[in-house]
Amino acid sequence: MESFRLLIDGFGGALTPVNLMYALIGVTLGTLVGVLPGIGPAMTVALLLPVTFTVPPTSAFIMFAGIYYGGMYGGSTTSILLNTPGESSSMITALEGNKMARRGRAAQALATAAIGSFVAGTIATGLLVVAAPAVVAFAISFGPEDYFALALLAFTAVSSVLSRSVVRGLASLGLGLTIGLIGIDQQTGQARLTFGVPQLLDGIDVVIVAVGLFAVGEALYVASRLRHTPPEVVPVGRAWLGRDDWRRSWRPWLRGTALGFPFGALPGGGAEIPTFLSYAAEKRLARGVAREEYGKGAIEGVAGPEAANNASAAGTLVPLLTLGLPTSATAAIMLAAFQQYGLQPGPQLFDHNPALVWSMIASLFIGNTMLLVLNLPLAPLWARVLRVPRPYLYAGIVLFAALGVYALNGTVVDLVVLYLLGLLGYAMRRFGLPVAPAVIGMILGPMAEIQLRRALAIGAGDPAVLVGSPTAVVLLALAAAALLTPVVRTVLGRRKLLRTSRED
Amino acid sequence: MSAPDVREKRRWWRPELGLALLVLGLGVVVVLGTLDVSAAASRLGLGPRFFPTLVGGAMILIGLFYVADVLRGGRGDPEESEDIDPDAPADWRSVGLVSGVFLGFTALLNLVGWIAGAALLFFGLSVALGAEHKVRAALLGAALGVGTYLLFVKGLGVSLPAGGDLSGIVPSAD
Repeated sequence: MESFRLLIDGFGGALTPVNLMYALIGVTLGTLVGVLPGIGPAMTVALLLPVTFTVPPTSAFIMFAGIYYGGMYGGSTTSILLNTPGESSSMITALEGNKMARRGRAAQALATAAIGSFVAGTIATGLLVVAAPAVVAFAISFGPEDYFALALLAFTAVSSVLSRSVVRGLASLGLGLTIGLIGIDQQTGQARLTFGVPQLLDGIDVVIVAVGLFAVGEALYVASRLRHTPPEVVPVGRAWLGRDDWRRSWRPWLRGTALGFPFGALPGGGAEIPTFLSYAAEKRLARGVAREEYGKGAIEGVAGPEAANNASAAGTLVPLLTLGLPTSATAAIMLAAFQQYGLQPGPQLFDHNPALVWSMIASLFIGNTMLLVLNLPLAPLWARVLRVPRPYLYAGIVLFAALGVYALNGTVVDLVVLYLLGLLGYAMRRFGLPVAPAVIGMILGPMAEIQLRRALAIGAGDPAVLVGSPTAVVLLALAAAALLTPVVRTVLGRRKLLRTSRED
Repeated sequence: MSAPDVREKRRWWRPELGLALLVLGLGVVVVLGTLDVSAAASRLGLGPRFFPTLVGGAMILIGLFYVADVLRGGRGDPEESEDIDPDAPADWRSVGLVSGVFLGFTALLNLVGWIAGAALLFFGLSVALGAEHKVRAALLGAALGVGTYLLFVKGLGVSLPAGGDLSGIVPSAD
């Protein structure tokens, strides 16, 4: 098998002492930011972009991938010990996980989450090894019209899945697309939307946008309604699993993996839907003790969703690496990182930079193993991290945000732009606009434009070229469906809401 | 809080309407702001105005739907987070303080340098967010200022202002 041989070569690249160090830094940082509220993997990768200029790309991506996977592990710790989740993908884990913790089974909840994440992450990365070359073989024939349709599908799917209100998801996407327009047009050299401000000619850096929307926005939002009671963290010792818990966990792990991977690979699939589906499936399949325990802290309700969560992270890497299509905020930032190195993810990346791609994939196996070691015995340490007093936490987050943004160009103008984007991030949080579509729109928008113009140039301006290939037609139909499905759901939901409000 | 007639008159206005109008307004800005962009479109297929017009048009459409949704009583769910008390009224004093501290830091950074600037930023923000031990906040801020300076400037070669930059007042020496 060709990809198997390449993977072995990848292990050769990833197992050097330097790259092992970057993997360790990545997974440790990832777990830390996953555990900490107010900061996530997307923002962490964005903040690290300016300081990784000097790092070779393979090492940088090994670190970024470690942060991505680590964030998934860390998020589960927060949801189990603190109830309210750090990342939206860990929301479901909190349902049963926190109840388990309150019943004195925190160690088992953390263990099934960590081991389940390891199992799911390893299997899903294996699936990535198999799926990626297949997608590449299919995508090698894609024309610009197919890529444009793919981008549209990502736009509509992400906007409609991540928010309960489609119009708010689309508004967020539009804000991101608009920010992406600012600056010099790459094909003609014309300045667009710069309003004569010379600093805007290069556009607004993705680091400033991501850090402003995530870090500064979150700090302002927290300032506006800070919970003044100290967080109630369930105390925990070393994470471990009894024989009975193993017996109850392994099937949910596998089922969660089977749900998580394909959803992660779909544009807009993300981690929210498969974790929820896994939770519902385990609830339905629960028998005996599990059935009685469901709703009071059943281990199946932690094992399944956590596995689904991690498998979806691996799934996200399939479209990112093979098509250059980001389906989550973190993936979008990683795409920006590729561009910073002058690399364009897609079928060509596997051809031109096989060493980079396969070392990164190999590092995922290594990082997963490191994370298991980091999370089982060190659970008490991460629990202590959760007790960081919130004023210091958010002051520190803003300090690092300012550092990362200032380091970009060394000008305070960027700090003012950062603050303004922070205000936007605040408003988006306050009014329920999801942030991820904005980040994806900003990064994918300019690429969609290039593909659209290329397609129309080939077709001599005839818009029919956009539906010229069967692939493009299917993708555009899916994009339309992604928009229309939630509209139908909203109408049904509104009817339900009307009923419940009448009962009040 | 306010007289009933005022409330009656302003009932249609909700803060979210501001955000919806911003989306709508940005759509208009995108369309109008790219009107003056011109290039030899014939040679390159589509010119640089086509895509912005598309985005701007879509934003106007989305903005109209958004405004309509808010006027009809729709509201977004405020994002949930560990540290958010969803029932608390908005604490504008804290938001103002955080903003003031951050903008003050921006204004002073080149003058006082990274170490002092970062220390003040950390101290100011943590006090604004309700840190009880002011001395501890100040010490932590100083430690972070020095620590990040050493790590990023000496260790990673990132350039941060050393302070004393009076450019605009005194011409720089080199």
